Amino acid sequence: MLVIFEGTSQVETTVRAVLADILGLSADRVATFTADTPLFGALPELDSMAVASVLTELEDRLGILIEDDEIDGEMLETFGALVQFAAGKALV
Amino acid sequence: MTGLRFDTYDWNGGREAMLRFGPDGGPIVIAALPLFEEANRTRQFTCTILRALADHGIGSLLPDFPGTGESVIATIDARLSDQRRAYSQLTQQLGTRSYALSTRSGALLDTDADLTGRWHLTPHSGFDLVRNLERTRAAAGKPDREGEYAGNRLSHEMLAELKDAVPFGGGRYRVIRLDTDPRAADAAYAGAPLWRRSEPGNDIPLAQRLAVDISRWISSCEG
Repeated sequence: MLVIFEGTSQVETTVRAVLADILGLSADRVATFTADTPLFGALPELDSMAVASVLTELEDRLGILIEDDEIDGEMLETFGALVQFAAGKALV
Repeated sequence: MTGLRFDTYDWNGGREAMLRFGPDGGPIVIAALPLFEEANRTRQFTCTILRALADHGIGSLLPDFPGTGESVIATIDARLSDQRRAYSQLTQQLGTRSYALSTRSGALLDTDADLTGRWHLTPHSGFDLVRNLERTRAAAGKPDREGEYAGNRLSHEMLAELKDAVPFGGGRYRVIRLDTDPRAADAAYAGAPLWRRSEPGNDIPLAQRLAVDISRWISSCEG
């Protein structure tokens, strides 16, 4: 599996699994996601309600807390951006 | 095996519908779906568990509560205290030993009832539920539409009741979580969190494994 940021492979695996589980995507499909794969606006499954579910599920699985004012379009723009955001929370 | 039947029960605020599965005799399982949007995502899955329980010889109910499902009470008029009262009065009418099968925020409804045991699937607090609702509303970009949460219009009274609500973990109590959930549990199973799926789904193998877990647990409680 492609590791986007050093030390974040576990976080990346979790983000991949959460996207598959919440959006109902196949494991094969999420396995093709790279750092540049666009998410919000590109995946029809990722609507605004799904965004809330993805972030809450990430909180539960990674034991992190995401403040609502931290949620913006940039963190969901690409798979790499979401992994980086989650890793920044989980690896502090 | 006895098939699906439609039935009703009365509480002091009116009459609500319920589905019945399996035999009428013996201990009975009362299923409580999560509140609001998560109910839609877990209803088919819950019915699959209840059908599997019928195959194990255990009867069950899937009731509406005031302000849910086919209830004539509007969502804006729903109160957790009424839902808890209806649940309690339903158990009183059954006249047999009953067990809760409550999923997510459904675990907030069985707190006051006279139950032989409670089996909770990924229970969470009312505080977490309200936080999820507010996040969904913020993500939908409708923060100014007061009282509307993902299409549900909720009263201040309901939100206040929910914020302070926690599941009751006393007596015979069993908590089940998915193996991706790090919180404490009596058992963990592999599966996807259907209650957060963007489209309602089902997981028949997981439903069958959970039905085995419930039937063994009820046998141990009855033993």
